[in-house]
Amino acid sequence: MMDQTELIEKIRAHPGQELIEISSPRERRIFVSVKPENLIKTIRLLKDDFGFYHVSTISGVDKISCFEILYHLASRSASLTVRVEIDRNNPEVQSICGVIPGAILYEREIQDMFGIKIINIPDPRPLVLPDDWPENNYPLRKDWSFQPPEEKIPGEKE
Amino acid sequence: MAIIKELVYLLVYPGMLFLFLYSTFCEWFDRKLYARLQNRIGPAYTGRFGILQPVADFFKLLFKEDIVPEKADRVIFSSLPVIGLATVVSAGLYLPLWNFDLRAPGFNSFQGDIIVVLYLLSLPTLILFLAGWHSTNFFSTLGGVRVLTMLFGYEVPLFLAVLSPAVVADSWRLAEIANFYQQFPFLLAFQIIGFFVAVVALQAKLERTPFDIPHAETEIVGGTFTEYSGKKLAFFRLMTDIEMVVGSGLMATVFMAGFSGSVLPSLLIFVLKTLIVISILSLIRATFSRIRVDQMVVFSWKYLTPLAVLQLLISIIVKGIIG
Amino acid sequence: MKRITIPIGPQHPALKEPISLRMTIEGEVIKDADVRLGYNHRGIEKLAESKTYIQNIYLMERICGICSHSHTTCYVQGVEALCELEVPRRGLFIRALVCELERIHSHYLWLGVAAHEAGFDSLFMYTWRDREVVMDLLEIISGNRVHYAINTIGGVRRDLNEIQKEKILEGVEFLKKRMEYYTNLGTTEPSFVGRVSGVGILPEEKAMALCAVGPTLRASRIASDIRKDDPYGAYGEFPFEVCTADTCDVLGRVVVRVKETIESLNIVEYIIRNLPEGEIKVKAPRRIKEGEVVSRYEAPRGENIHYIKSNGTDKPERLKVRAPTLANYPATIEMLKNGFVADIPLIFAAIDPCICCAERFVEIIDERKGSRGIMTMAEIKRKFKKPEIKKDFVWPL
Repeated sequence: MMDQTELIEKIRAHPGQELIEISSPRERRIFVSVKPENLIKTIRLLKDDFGFYHVSTISGVDKISCFEILYHLASRSASLTVRVEIDRNNPEVQSICGVIPGAILYEREIQDMFGIKIINIPDPRPLVLPDDWPENNYPLRKDWSFQPPEEKIPGEKE
Repeated sequence: MAIIKELVYLLVYPGMLFLFLYSTFCEWFDRKLYARLQNRIGPAYTGRFGILQPVADFFKLLFKEDIVPEKADRVIFSSLPVIGLATVVSAGLYLPLWNFDLRAPGFNSFQGDIIVVLYLLSLPTLILFLAGWHSTNFFSTLGGVRVLTMLFGYEVPLFLAVLSPAVVADSWRLAEIANFYQQFPFLLAFQIIGFFVAVVALQAKLERTPFDIPHAETEIVGGTFTEYSGKKLAFFRLMTDIEMVVGSGLMATVFMAGFSGSVLPSLLIFVLKTLIVISILSLIRATFSRIRVDQMVVFSWKYLTPLAVLQLLISIIVKGIIG
Repeated sequence: MKRITIPIGPQHPALKEPISLRMTIEGEVIKDADVRLGYNHRGIEKLAESKTYIQNIYLMERICGICSHSHTTCYVQGVEALCELEVPRRGLFIRALVCELERIHSHYLWLGVAAHEAGFDSLFMYTWRDREVVMDLLEIISGNRVHYAINTIGGVRRDLNEIQKEKILEGVEFLKKRMEYYTNLGTTEPSFVGRVSGVGILPEEKAMALCAVGPTLRASRIASDIRKDDPYGAYGEFPFEVCTADTCDVLGRVVVRVKETIESLNIVEYIIRNLPEGEIKVKAPRRIKEGEVVSRYEAPRGENIHYIKSNGTDKPERLKVRAPTLANYPATIEMLKNGFVADIPLIFAAIDPCICCAERFVEIIDERKGSRGIMTMAEIKRKFKKPEIKKDFVWPL
């Protein structure tokens, strides 16, 4: 098992990495920020060289100014979060299914909930939203609000 | 007088009415025993000890909504339950109960009636297949196919096992076979393997755990019965119950020396012996889990059929020694 | 042979909760499988953003009935880490105690369900009767059989006394004996073993690539358990082993769960015997300072992960929940392929699916919103057009 600080140093020192930031707020938790164009490269590197083979989940956060996508990876010794910030007006990000196939459901979820277009996703169907969900409604965006339709009981007296 | 006797025989005892009442009793017995084996109470509210529960279930189903699928052939779909019920009830008439006189056989005792009973007991399987096929539902179709697949598994060992006591008794008439073993009860000891094979095959014929493959609810919903409801389902359930009674009656006749005496003693012996067979069936049902259809076919050809053949060989040898 | 597609669900006797599995079959062999979610969405993640941290404990508890304690513990741990609270050891021990009892209860329940799916109703009845013992113990501790409501930010809400401890030890003793019996039954009864062995094979590398979690993963030779890999709460102190199996099939998953139950019973015993004295909780602030945290927890079904982002108010900015069942779906699809129709309920039950855990996000749809009274067919098609799946793609790899 690699020591935490050692691990961070190694990730930082790895050539070809354009990390924006790396931090470890508490034991066995590491946060890494990368640019969207380096995402696939970083995840492949983390998987191949550092043993982060498991995608726990992918979270999306609507920060109003931009979208933040967090890839929660895990190895047997630590949990590492890769943070990507993407433009809110043109939300697009590459699919990581080529590297870790198990991420497919989380990517579909992000696509449903935030309307972020996942490029090269193998299966783009909606995952949790119904097939007849109206377009451009993304429930987890902060500016989305829900108006329940007026309830009408069939056969009810006016 | 003879006509009245025959009418009574057809309609009251051991015809329709008796078979209906006794089969519901057997269903209650089976359910109660099964429940006790699983640490449950079982039916408890309708009648004393819940004894009327199957009757109540039957009448409840009679008054439920009856739906025929739009694409199904209405005539065949509706007539199948009735035909099925008719076949098992007529099979029940051939059991050597009360009305048999070896010297002056009635209309329902003749050489070869054992074959007729076996044949009539095979018909419900085909009816279940047709029912599944005509329901035009994927689950029903799958269930129907499974019914037929299983038929090829259990039918051969069942026939071989049931016929081997007949070989020793040198008769194809149920009353004569029973009479033969009443005179030589020790010969039944040579039929133990056959009895075991026949009971397992009967379990498969009745589609009970571990052979409840055609209507495995967690796999294919209701299987053959998926589209059936109301009266038709009630008839099918009654058919299965009567099939169980007739099947165990057949076991009791050929492997347990039948039911001798006049009306009352023969009735008591019949009840006792069939309940023994049904208890074994319930015990099997409670101790195993459902197997797959391919495992079932492999099991019956790998183990049951060779055992049945072995039993037939033993019977022939025994026949050679005593004859 | 002709291929037909049969729907397993959203309503099906094998499924206790709504999910739709579309099986393409040839005769009795499954050729392709697809899973459709979304029948049980309640919009919990969206709702959590409008509730306070305390209210959210109770919301998290209602994600799922069986693993209600898992979700609250995961959430509460995260919040405690955010506001840097030091939970008293006694509190952590009681939290772990409820968690292990819940694992026992969940595995007993699962064993019964698996037996029922295999048509082994006797085992089903036996295990569920014994499960009552655990439920009663949980009721003694917390006052509730299902939603224990024992967690709070900074500790637990109820203490244990000597009588309760004694009762728990008695129950554990009884359950151990029963579990040994079931171990014997579940691994030697020929018809049951014949049904489960060699069914739903998930090789080691596939399990890793498809990110399976929990007993599903451990049955494929990978000894990954959050309690060991990433010890939370008081788990660093407890002696226990990570149970694995090397058969990679449903039998392996049965063995892993059965062994795990016995380990859990030992942990419960250890906790009761070594329960430290002291306080059970500390006071927590109402406003949580800004920050973010990833909280992981080993639920009975596998890794449970919560991501909490706070913004300095008394409500979270974002609360992401990922329940173990969702992580196991891709692996399930893989397991189902080339299996028999008869194995569908068993394979699906082997991941111990908890659909209401896996689905949390969305509220009801406003179908009328923005649509006109009459639409042409072309408009409807345009509006509800389904995206195409790439041709050369085999789901989910």
